Amino acid sequence: MKNKRIIGFSLCALAAIALLNPLSAQTKTKAPNASSSASASEIMMKVYARSQPADMSALLTMTLIDSKGHERVRSIKQISASFGTLEKKIMQFQGPADVRGTSFMSWSYAEAGKGDDQWIYLPALKRVKRISSDGRGDSFMGSDFSYDDLAERHPNEDTHKIIGSEAIAGEECWIIESSPRDKNYSYSRVVSWVSKNKQLGFRRDFYDKGGALLKTLTILKMEDIGGFLMITQTEMRNVQKNHRTSMVFTSVEVNKGMQESVFTERSMMKAL
Amino acid sequence: MKKSLMRSLAIVFLLYGIAQLSADNISFNGYGRSKAGALLSDWSVFMQENTLDARFSWDTDTTLLYANLILATDEDQIFNAAIRELYLHYYGDSFDIRIGKQQIIWGKSDAVFITDLVSPKDLSRFLVPDFEELRLAATGVRANLYSGNHQLEVVWLPLFTPTVQPAADSLWAPALPFPVQPTFLPSIKPDLKLSNGEYFARYSWLGSSVDFSLMGGWFWNDTPSFSVVSKTITPSVGLTALSVQGEYYRTASAGYGLSARVGPVVLKSEGAFYFNKRYQGNIAIYPQGYTEKNAIHYLVGTDFSISGTTLGLQFIQEIILDHEAALVDEAFTNTATLLLARSFARDTVRLEALTYIGFAAPDALIKPQVTWKITDGMEIAAGGWFFLGDSGAFGQYSDNSSIFASAKIYF
Repeated sequence: MKNKRIIGFSLCALAAIALLNPLSAQTKTKAPNASSSASASEIMMKVYARSQPADMSALLTMTLIDSKGHERVRSIKQISASFGTLEKKIMQFQGPADVRGTSFMSWSYAEAGKGDDQWIYLPALKRVKRISSDGRGDSFMGSDFSYDDLAERHPNEDTHKIIGSEAIAGEECWIIESSPRDKNYSYSRVVSWVSKNKQLGFRRDFYDKGGALLKTLTILKMEDIGGFLMITQTEMRNVQKNHRTSMVFTSVEVNKGMQESVFTERSMMKAL
Repeated sequence: MKKSLMRSLAIVFLLYGIAQLSADNISFNGYGRSKAGALLSDWSVFMQENTLDARFSWDTDTTLLYANLILATDEDQIFNAAIRELYLHYYGDSFDIRIGKQQIIWGKSDAVFITDLVSPKDLSRFLVPDFEELRLAATGVRANLYSGNHQLEVVWLPLFTPTVQPAADSLWAPALPFPVQPTFLPSIKPDLKLSNGEYFARYSWLGSSVDFSLMGGWFWNDTPSFSVVSKTITPSVGLTALSVQGEYYRTASAGYGLSARVGPVVLKSEGAFYFNKRYQGNIAIYPQGYTEKNAIHYLVGTDFSISGTTLGLQFIQEIILDHEAALVDEAFTNTATLLLARSFARDTVRLEALTYIGFAAPDALIKPQVTWKITDGMEIAAGGWFFLGDSGAFGQYSDNSSIFASAKIYF
């Protein structure tokens, strides 16, 4: 469940915008409905349940940028598909050269409490190995995204309340604060900006366990692909360490009729 | 040497040129590495090698041609060129066939070879090299049949490839199970003929929460047993001279592999039953120098993560059935491994330590290493191989504790 990584997160939990843009153009007002926790939960549930493609393939370029502006680029081919309550995904590194051919496969389950199945294929060792799905707060491949950040998180895992509203680039949004029911979660709270007119969120602030702002996620680009509004460019900035990571999806294809038999050991070991 | 170096470099540049001509379905990559190691006992350099690992592949939708060429110079500046792998792979809808020289890796465990029956090893430097380099390729045909998450793999090796043993005069020559230093006669290898082929099969299933595999093989043991050819007994002194000869022999094995997710941890196990495996023994009791026994070799282990540190624990036991006191090996040999790994600085620095612990002696081998990725294409590493104890599989190399440093560039 926790590990519905990139596609789950980017296609569903956030989503939105042509409206991105100038966060400086925001106008903020006090929450008109600040005590309405029920409606906050409903909004987050609508975002969660938003229609998404049955399968997707894409090239992901992840750029890690340090505080001095130095960049490191990772290129990943990924395929993913949903089969009922099960989502399967394979991510295969195209570069840099030292990790080329390395593949991860994950099977994520909608059932509460059922952890992900995960495997890794290392070309040097020439075998597929099941790996622990723990460490959800750990960095994903050295980036500013943690595995938790990339997972699709069920709204019932948090309590929600509307703490305000704000217009971002002309789009009216609810500002919703989500506090985890499980105190072991990576963050003390997450604040999301969710469009009032679309079931889409397009900014998130993550607070550390001490209550300080840790990271901010913004969406830089969205595209209509196959009738689905897809986030194709995001950036996560760690405000405490002053480094950031951008993710850009290209060659995105959806609903190509991907079969479950694609998500096997065999696919991990050959070029996608 | 110069001639073969030039010839090998010409091959590499030819492959590179081909790769550049048609970049779409041809790739050329690999790494260059320089590595040096010194003994802690006297700081003598026992390893100084430069390696070019070049990998070439040409693929279409259904076919892959792959070559892995190794060019290396060692501490004596002797140049070696070797083809690590060279094969043709055909991808069908529900089956694959691979023909040629190839590494075939089986098993669920780390750093231990229980059900890894097919590919022989290069143990010329014990367990010091990277595991990628420990495994040798075997020449033959492998076919895989697929149905969903079920997989059946069959392997036929018409050419026998033995495990490489340490040279008798090397640092890594093991303690010998003989009362006097024997004279070694050249080992007897199986002749190249159809009836001497090796056969392996594995069924595996990868599923929700559990992965499972069953495997078996009828093959030549990759490491020879030593047969006594002649011995000289001097009155009132006893055994004074001994000639032995290595023999590769037919054996069979059947085993299983299992890994399962239980909450946040992975539990794993693998085991194999070996039929009529040869064990060296007291030559007064066993005139041939060895006897045959059935044996069980198994492992249980777990992988998990704590606060960003990955840990792997394994317990390994080898049991000689119907054990006799005159055998060199004990009835039970117990070993454990502990693997720790952690990355820092956005995955640019990685610390890892692999430890083997032998319970009988007791003894241990600790292999810590730190790797710093200076850029995505370049890394430097340093570490050590520390042998603890006075005897046993690891303790016998207590004089070989050493440190190393390396630089690696990927292309």
